[in-house]
Amino acid sequence: MATETNADVVIVGTGIVGCLIAQQMLDSGLSVLMLEAGPRVDRWRIVENFRNLPPGLRLHFDAPYPPKPWAPHMESYSDAAAAEYLQLEGPNARAYRQGYVRYAGGATRHWAGICWRLTPEDMRLKSLYGVARDWDLDYSALEPYYTRAEYAIGVCGPSDPALQWPPIRSKRYPMGPLPFGPGEQRFTDAAARLGLKNVPAAQARNSRIAYDGRPPCCGNNNCIPVCPIAAKYDAATALPKIEAKGGRILANAVAYRVETGQKNAIEAVHYFDSDKHSHRVIGKIFVLACNGIETPKLLLLSKDERNPKGVANSSDQVGRNMMDQPKLVAELILAEPMWTGVGPVQGSSIMQTSQGEFRSKHGGALFRFNNLARGAFGGVAAVRQGLVGKALDAEIRRLSACTAELTIEHELIPDPNNRLTLSNKKDWLGINKPNIYYDVGDYVRRSAKEYSVPLVRKLAAELGATDVQVSTEFTNSDHIMGGTIMGADSAASVVDIDCRAHDHHNLFLPGGGAMTTGGCGNSTLTMAALALKAADAIATQMKSS
Amino acid sequence: MPKLRRVLCCLLIAVASNTWSAHSHAGEPDQLIQRGEYLAKAADCGACHTAPGGKPFAGGLAISSPVGTIYSTNITPSVNYGLGRYTEEQFARALRRGIRSDGANLYPAMPYTSYSIFTDADVQALYSYFMHAVVAVDAAGPSTDLPFPMNIRASMMGWNLLFLNKKPFESDPQQSEARNRGRYLVEGATHCSACHTPRGFLMQEQSNQAFAGGQVGAWYAPNITSDIDSGIGSWNQDELVKFLRGGDALGKAQAAGSMGEAVEHSFQYLTDADLNAIATFVRTVPAIHDPADQSSRFTFGTASSDLGVLRGRTGIRNDSGDPTGGELFQANCASCHAPFGQGSKDGYYPSLFSNSALGSRNPNNLIAAILNGVNRTTSKSQAYMPGFAGGPHDLAALSDQEVVLLGNYLLERYGHPGISVTAKQVAEVRRGGPSSSLVTLARLGVASAVGAAALIVALIVMRARKRNIRIA
Repeated sequence: MATETNADVVIVGTGIVGCLIAQQMLDSGLSVLMLEAGPRVDRWRIVENFRNLPPGLRLHFDAPYPPKPWAPHMESYSDAAAAEYLQLEGPNARAYRQGYVRYAGGATRHWAGICWRLTPEDMRLKSLYGVARDWDLDYSALEPYYTRAEYAIGVCGPSDPALQWPPIRSKRYPMGPLPFGPGEQRFTDAAARLGLKNVPAAQARNSRIAYDGRPPCCGNNNCIPVCPIAAKYDAATALPKIEAKGGRILANAVAYRVETGQKNAIEAVHYFDSDKHSHRVIGKIFVLACNGIETPKLLLLSKDERNPKGVANSSDQVGRNMMDQPKLVAELILAEPMWTGVGPVQGSSIMQTSQGEFRSKHGGALFRFNNLARGAFGGVAAVRQGLVGKALDAEIRRLSACTAELTIEHELIPDPNNRLTLSNKKDWLGINKPNIYYDVGDYVRRSAKEYSVPLVRKLAAELGATDVQVSTEFTNSDHIMGGTIMGADSAASVVDIDCRAHDHHNLFLPGGGAMTTGGCGNSTLTMAALALKAADAIATQMKSS
Repeated sequence: MPKLRRVLCCLLIAVASNTWSAHSHAGEPDQLIQRGEYLAKAADCGACHTAPGGKPFAGGLAISSPVGTIYSTNITPSVNYGLGRYTEEQFARALRRGIRSDGANLYPAMPYTSYSIFTDADVQALYSYFMHAVVAVDAAGPSTDLPFPMNIRASMMGWNLLFLNKKPFESDPQQSEARNRGRYLVEGATHCSACHTPRGFLMQEQSNQAFAGGQVGAWYAPNITSDIDSGIGSWNQDELVKFLRGGDALGKAQAAGSMGEAVEHSFQYLTDADLNAIATFVRTVPAIHDPADQSSRFTFGTASSDLGVLRGRTGIRNDSGDPTGGELFQANCASCHAPFGQGSKDGYYPSLFSNSALGSRNPNNLIAAILNGVNRTTSKSQAYMPGFAGGPHDLAALSDQEVVLLGNYLLERYGHPGISVTAKQVAEVRRGGPSSSLVTLARLGVASAVGAAALIVALIVMRARKRNIRIA
């Protein structure tokens, strides 16, 4: 039943990383074939799925994206459901319940659109603070790619350097910033009274004007789980553009083996279709951009005689150093309304708290006022009180207006023991599920205890909170990093600074997995920058071959 | 020695300009040139003679027509490729009579029938602007090469004899200065009738149906006579002026397609006095009533929603299956136009009820807006709606059948309940508007005169001016 297809560049994964590379390859005149494990579903169907959700599922961001049997992803609606696909263990297993969907367009379909860059210091933890690793790529080398990524996906942000993070830029943002909603403004004012600066987030969201054919944001406030009008960049918007340039996209094509050949070059990728038939795709360059969990999983699944520990894994670092920003949440009740929910779900953060000499002892932290409208929280909580009629209406209004949520995201350092391996449990296609051991480590725990939780309590008090509940269990931020870690030393890392596998000259593993460290902000813009850097390297390599 | 030539040119220009200034109403040559620039905007020359991303007035815009592609010409003062060798008299003949300097006829894609009323003074101002303020682009654009029999330019002569006005503009002393000025602009520079007046058998504008509405490519240019029900008799002066300047009449209509581009490239630059003059004249255009119009197209529908029966019915697990019109509306439209179709308070997102596109008996503008979206930028703001036709930049890829479901839902709930959308109409608008079988007819010799067919086709091109067809 096997059929064979080929292209110059074969890309596994149709998320932001795969799509950015595909577009650049096509612009360079190369042929591109993309494999996507999941289905390709129209935006409007996801929007309807979301709006039909019962209130209790509103905050489960994967719920509008039901997985296909052949492309399972973690479903968060119950603990039992969540335990089906991702096999998690270790002291902080709960904090690696990563919410990504295996759908064409990938996890940017339900991201918040925030585009923080790393700072130069974030990339030099070892030399500055004696912890973790240094990147073997410095900020100045990455900066042009950050800028290109911002223009590729359309990022809005402030032009005042005092409000930029970090204010080390070669070019202004393609669009000006979005205004703060009233809740964010109150949080900004409260932070300022404590000497802290809450800065507008750079975000891949069109402010006031159309960008790349996508309309300006109209404030539906459901960036997560889907922007109904594509004002926020998501990679689903790139798919028809890729096809218009001649790229081919195969949905429901689950890559399960990377085949090596002479000189350990990659020869082919094998995939199952939704009828469990196997196919083989050959090409000159192979890009695995399946995300920080699926990419190491695929490499480990592909072990062969030449690569007994898995493809690209002579260093034994594939699947190790799994990172995220462990999250704690403070729930506030206030005497006065905050009017949360005007504008996008996130629009700012306190970033200066991610930096400091303290990083030799504990991690930094980011503080964010969550601007997701409180209606769903308020409604469910009021109904649970058993209220009816006018009393119910009044309580829904009070809880929606006079509550708030502050989020802390902590910096975590790479630890080889935080490791993805193949579980013995298998999915519908017979493919091993990923198993991940996860411990946030003392670096994060100290940060929470000595630094971030005391500070979030101060912020809550300054906002006028009458009640503050800070969560005690770390949860996931969905920023999957580290599993194919980058470095110059091929014995201690998986990919070089172009995201090329040390072991295979024609295999690229760009994205979050390559990040050496992750800082406090989300990883997407760095992933996009690394994707463009890899794309340059691929184009150069194709020209010289 | 191009440098030397340029210096000489500048000297000549300086001398020539001084000479002209004595005759011009504007006085100083700078003012003459400025007036020419203003008139070029009013006449929307750049819309056709500037290609997207190309240099101003260098031509080369591909205008696809049912009989082949026509390319707009270079009208910069380039000596070899543009108007550099044109005398003012030759320029005037091209502008007002459709005759090139070599004596060949222009295709009426160039609206010289309207420009025929330009005064000598205005022609001079335009000439002055094009020769002296437009940067010469020394590059030949692609040449137009229509298939036989459309390539016989001389066939235009007969048609010109029948339909080309050769009388200069005359003010009516009985009317106000503003109305006379308005009529001069509307019938001349802004060539409104080219789209808004229906065409007769030979594709000539039907003078007894002036401004009663006509199909232009994918879009329908509606009745803009003073009739209360069929036209815009219910609009006041301010509404019309604001519409021309910004493309939006709150709770009535929004400019899209060719009208959106007219606002963007032309009307937004006109003075308040001229916009008011245009409005003054347009509002007195004799009413033409269509008996089928029981009420104005701006009055249909009210805010409503069937969310109550929609939500929870289909569950959350579907990623396939046939949608209903209501689902398509809520999922694709309501995020901006609001769940009750009411739009936003500031009007940036128009309400769908009390909306010309949905209240018209011709559903083409509704279909065209869904498929092609709206993109109208003025110095004040951008009105942007993505298309839903499945293009690389479109927000969705709705099928013809889905557009039928959505369109009929919208018409029933927010628009003219007696009107419906068919898959055939959607397919036609998706193709860019009604197509023509004239080439076949002409080649079969069915038309009584091949030349007449060529004329007809050429006029279709004129109606489907560049900006309409770009949407296709």
